[in-house]
Amino acid sequence: MAWWRWIAAFVLLSAVGFFLGGYTSDVYRKLLLWVTLALGFNFLFGIAGQIAFSHFAFYGIGAYSVVILAFHFGLPLPLAIPLAAALCAVLALAVAIPSNRLEGFYLALATIAFSQLFIIVLNEGGDVTGGTGGLASYRLPPAYDVLPGGPWFTMLIVFVMLATFAVLWRLDRSWFGRACRAVRDNPEAAAAMGVDVARTKVLAFTLTSTFAGVAGMAYAFVDNTVNPPTFSIENSFLLLFMIVIGGAGRFAGAIVGAVLLYFLPLWLSPVIGHHHALVFGLLVVVVIVLQPRGLIGVYDALARRWRGRRPA
Amino acid sequence: MQDFLELIVSAAASGCIYGLIALAYLLIIRPTGIINFAVGEWAAVGAFGGVVALSTAKLPYAVGMAAVLAAMFAVGWATERIAVRPLVERGAPVLSPILALLGMLVVFRESISIGFGPDPFPVPYPLGFERFEIGPLAGSRHAFFIIAATAAVFGAAWWFFERTLWGRIFEAVAIDRRAAALMGINLRRVAVLAFAAGATIAGLAGLLVSPNISAHFLMGLPLAVQGFSALVIGGVGRVEGALLGGLLIALAESLTVRYAPVPPGLAFGVPLVLLILFLLFRPTGLLKPRGAH
Repeated sequence: MAWWRWIAAFVLLSAVGFFLGGYTSDVYRKLLLWVTLALGFNFLFGIAGQIAFSHFAFYGIGAYSVVILAFHFGLPLPLAIPLAAALCAVLALAVAIPSNRLEGFYLALATIAFSQLFIIVLNEGGDVTGGTGGLASYRLPPAYDVLPGGPWFTMLIVFVMLATFAVLWRLDRSWFGRACRAVRDNPEAAAAMGVDVARTKVLAFTLTSTFAGVAGMAYAFVDNTVNPPTFSIENSFLLLFMIVIGGAGRFAGAIVGAVLLYFLPLWLSPVIGHHHALVFGLLVVVVIVLQPRGLIGVYDALARRWRGRRPA
Repeated sequence: MQDFLELIVSAAASGCIYGLIALAYLLIIRPTGIINFAVGEWAAVGAFGGVVALSTAKLPYAVGMAAVLAAMFAVGWATERIAVRPLVERGAPVLSPILALLGMLVVFRESISIGFGPDPFPVPYPLGFERFEIGPLAGSRHAFFIIAATAAVFGAAWWFFERTLWGRIFEAVAIDRRAAALMGINLRRVAVLAFAAGATIAGLAGLLVSPNISAHFLMGLPLAVQGFSALVIGGVGRVEGALLGGLLIALAESLTVRYAPVPPGLAFGVPLVLLILFLLFRPTGLLKPRGAH
């Protein structure tokens, strides 16, 4: 996409933030963060073909580590943010390098274990992590009053989302994106073509996990509270469902899936209360059985039929 | 010493539960290559089957148990027909049924949540929970009941795989699907039976564990995680591996809770740490699969 489209998207999405009230802007910020996570997870799962359940753990590592570094250890934010990002990258490498030696679904098992361990550490972390209640009501010192608040903070989240989108979009169209797709479809053939399979897998996992961590840092200041249930493995399942329902491997699919599954509970709550997850589960089964390429696949099929009917 | 032996009995009982869940994974993964994370929810369905058959309908334990296991056989059968067979027939990659089964996991859990609400339900003990002693070993009657039932299941599984034609058929499919199909084996029937048997065994595990922990709609996922940890530690290729892995995990967990100077919450992490260590250093598990001879 041309650079002016990114700018236009940034201006448009940021402008929306100025028309929202307290509750709606909270909903909007969380929607933007879900889309950010979905874009990253789509790259990992849909394009690089790795089934991992650690995305929300890294989201949480980013959120918790920036809060702990800035408020427990009192580091200045410009230092805490890169340190927290580096911590995410190091932990992602520590998960990816050993998991990479294993075939098949062992990455899924290893990342489930990692996510559960992360929650246990949060619950038992005492003063540092705040235990089961998490950390709340942390305030930046007055020196940071120049930092963006209100719609300007929403603008920052729009920037995080679009930056993630733009980097992944460019990567997908580079040699790295093609290497990822090749490794997903046929690792032996990719290796024979000169792709370093191990390095490609580890890079894709580390990169997308670090992006999740960066989104988590923004999340830490949305509610000014972080607690363990937000980062549970249930949400990683939900993220996977978003990608599958929207259409794995397609950026538009990730966005459609994230927006749809984010708003479904709000629309459905008058009908079925808080049991919206039942609808998610049924949707996933129906989509995989009927249209494995997701809603984007449905759209493609309709578009093709529509074009086919018209004389060329 | 007395204290240690009691610890061993209660650890063995939880280890048997993990072993049964691991066996449910193994029965499905061997012939089909599908890792089914919904086995934990099957255990929850079995536990709530116990609530309906034993607490509500007040059936005698043996009759209620038989009814629950028969129902679980049907649940496993239906799961395969709905979420797996259409994908296998289309020639979809093996990832597709795994994702569809994750969807089923949520469907099972939310159905339980809608049907029974968020409160835990008590399930009656078959023999009570009074103290019971066999020589130096002492524990609750229920612990011994779990151990005996698990021994019976693993004995039956051993007999099935070693002594029956259907067991041989399962092994043949596990070793080489194409060759097995060319020998005239009906792969569809093997797959549907694997799912039905897996659901029955997972349901049994849920029924057995539910008097101790109460039936609750969120009980499935922890069991699913313990079960695959047991499976990886024991080795995916062998039935005995599932039981061995389950016992090892439960023992490590109990010893940590009892003797290690860490908060009890951290002890929940022991199976996960064991799993990660095994994935790092011995991904094939303790027992090597048998060759194709």
